[in-house]
Amino acid sequence: MPVTFDRSAEPGVVRLEGEIDIALAAALKEVLLEGLASAGEVRISLESATGLDVTAVQLLWAAEREAKASGVVLALQGPVPEKLRATLEEAGLERFPFADSPAAASEAQ
Amino acid sequence: MAADQDIDQFRHGFQEEARELLVELEAVLLELNERREDGELVGRVFRALHTIKGSGAMFGFDELAAFAHKLENAFDEVRKGHLAVTPDLVDLTLSALDQIRAMVEEGENDAAVDRGACAQILAKVRALTGSADTAGPGNEPDKARKATQPVTEKEAESAKPERAWRIHFAPGPELMRNGADPLLLIRELSGLGRLTAHASMAEIPAIGELEPERCYVCWEMVLVTSAGEDAIRDVFIFVEDVCELAIEPEAAEDGAIRDGATRDGAIREGAIGTGSPAATVASPEPETGAPPAVECAGDVIAKALEEKRRMAGRRATDQPETSASLRVPAARLDQLVDLVGEMVTVQARLSEIAAGSDDSEVLAVSEEIERLTSALRENSMTLRMVPIRATFERFRRLVHDLARDLGKDVELTIEGADTELDKTVIDQLGDPLMHLIRNSMDHGIESPERRAAEGKRPTAKIHLAAQHSGASVLIGVSDDGAGIDGDAVRNRAVERGLTTADAQLSEAEIFSFIFQPGFSTAKQVTDVSGRGVGMDVVRQRVESLRGSIEVASQRGQGTTVTLRLPLTLAIIDGLLVTVGEAFFVLPLASTLECIELTREDIERVNGKHMADVRGELIPYIRLRQYFAVNTPRPEREQIMVVESEEGRCGLVVDQVLGDCQTVIRNLGRLYRHVQVVSGATILGNGKVALILDPQRLVQEAVRSRMQRERVRAQGPPPNLTPNLAREQQSGVPPDGALVEIASNVGAGALASASH
Repeated sequence: MPVTFDRSAEPGVVRLEGEIDIALAAALKEVLLEGLASAGEVRISLESATGLDVTAVQLLWAAEREAKASGVVLALQGPVPEKLRATLEEAGLERFPFADSPAAASEAQ
Repeated sequence: MAADQDIDQFRHGFQEEARELLVELEAVLLELNERREDGELVGRVFRALHTIKGSGAMFGFDELAAFAHKLENAFDEVRKGHLAVTPDLVDLTLSALDQIRAMVEEGENDAAVDRGACAQILAKVRALTGSADTAGPGNEPDKARKATQPVTEKEAESAKPERAWRIHFAPGPELMRNGADPLLLIRELSGLGRLTAHASMAEIPAIGELEPERCYVCWEMVLVTSAGEDAIRDVFIFVEDVCELAIEPEAAEDGAIRDGATRDGAIREGAIGTGSPAATVASPEPETGAPPAVECAGDVIAKALEEKRRMAGRRATDQPETSASLRVPAARLDQLVDLVGEMVTVQARLSEIAAGSDDSEVLAVSEEIERLTSALRENSMTLRMVPIRATFERFRRLVHDLARDLGKDVELTIEGADTELDKTVIDQLGDPLMHLIRNSMDHGIESPERRAAEGKRPTAKIHLAAQHSGASVLIGVSDDGAGIDGDAVRNRAVERGLTTADAQLSEAEIFSFIFQPGFSTAKQVTDVSGRGVGMDVVRQRVESLRGSIEVASQRGQGTTVTLRLPLTLAIIDGLLVTVGEAFFVLPLASTLECIELTREDIERVNGKHMADVRGELIPYIRLRQYFAVNTPRPEREQIMVVESEEGRCGLVVDQVLGDCQTVIRNLGRLYRHVQVVSGATILGNGKVALILDPQRLVQEAVRSRMQRERVRAQGPPPNLTPNLAREQQSGVPPDGALVEIASNVGAGALASASH
């Protein structure tokens, strides 16, 4: 599965791999909801993702908001591939969700 | 039910469009193969794939959309400079196009999608792009971007001056489900110039209520480009109906400032997080120069409303532009042309009746109808005229593939691609041209080593050319290969009993043997040709189009095959003439003038078949004699001077009745070998007139005269063709029997013979 929630890790990791497009949108939503409901802290890994489309971005965005509202710590694990970042920047999505989260800030450089 | 039909109609529309796109794509790819660094070509490939994917998804061609999407991604990598254009990539994409074509046609024709091949192609594409991905996930994209950007900027500078456009783009709920991807659209936009985009996330609901497949994000963008509004609008062409879109120009000097303002707005917007939808629409408004957060709510709403109104207005005025051209199934056009044909025949009868009546009102109406019919006929004919470009361009692929398979280096050049021909003619041209090109590639063009040894350019050339010539179109296929070995052809013809060893044959006659069924001088049969099937097909097809073939070849220099085809198969403008009781139609386009021929004129040149036209001696053919019309010849006859490849020539007839628009009817299978007559028509008075082909008539006359002279010089050879032999003995030309039909048999008989 390109979209998974790894409960075994501590904290749990929502892992996005390959092309994440509309076909995976429903699955991604489920996985994110599962992640948000599981614990007080969740990581999101985009390291192996090669593409995100709008549906994925808006889900991540909504997840971040949801996390903030419910007091869950949601942060990136590992860097965001440059290609993803470039695509999102080009589309004016430069304020990438979690980009300002501490985990990402330290790893992005 | 109606909805089903609508969908069908849309699907057909998509299929038509996809076919055209695939042809274009193929041509662009082949061009790209030659100019691998050309960023514009890469962009064109990408856009074409993008369009096929987008509209494919919209009309339910999901497999196609997914497949094209993967290819599109590969070319996106190329566009971004991550992936280089290699012959492998081009070949891979070409074979992918074949599969896409099959997906488009699936269920229609016998096209079958080879899913195994598809999977292989995708695996190879993945291998190509995958390696590019791993090559440099670091700073590569930035570098690539910098590398490609100067190209687009340079392009822009060299063209029109740049100006800034403000684009509001809000994908509706349906957009994503239709297979469109807003990010790709935006990327396409940024390909047009410098784009500053700001996405508003304000409408994204809580994750629990979020419909995963719906797009909630909307964009405000400023694009500084030299492209016009149409080009910008084209990016959204497939989603325009399912999204909110407003494109507005703004003063060019504002562009830079606005860039900054928007970016500013974006950050603020992001910081605010959950703004109202109205705020997002209005946020980049720069007129006030103030950041949107400072604006008061009333202003914001007023501006949003104004924006909406402007958008509504734009939409309304856009409507007429989109209907500038429309697609019509070819069958419907054919039906129209058929009806017009019937109308022309009936109108001819009406004119005839009106001319015989004393009623001036009937006459006036008849004349008016004649005028209208003529205009209608001309109009409907132009509807079916299409440029030959697409047919020619298709062969780039064939030449590319064959050159690779045969290990030859061949370049295809095209000339006169804008020449227009009736669609029915063009549709049937593909096969003959393909056989001619295959033949040239396989037999005509030498191996690179041999070319080098003979001091020729290593890259061989195949040249396709089209040009108008009177009522015909000449289509030439030339190569600069080895040429035809006349002796080999002759020997083979003797072996096969097509001629005798001592027969005196002109070069053209010798070359014409290659069009005999099963004729081949090839020592071994290759995959490409050599079975002796192709050229026979060429001849049959061209003749069924009432065309002719000529071959010119020079050893070591190359071969040119010229097809002469009629512009249209349906209707011609002609002159109606009589010989005795028989009616003939001469195509107006090949008729130059009409002069009188009296007995004194004939005596003056001692009975030779020559006429003095303003000091120039022109040979003539007596149709009375040629068609064996056995009625006494009138005191004054008319010479119709026609232009032929052999020069000017006269055709002697009894009377010229006047011009006529003629619907061409086939003579039927029985008379398919009669070449001097290109068809027949039914006149207003119900009689049948034969439509003459002056070109063939003159050729035939020249040929039989040369034969006669040779015969006279040598004594008759044993195997003269039966027709000629008969002519020799009786002096009666071969086509006499046909005229009896024309003068004796009524219209009904001919009409039934032609069906």
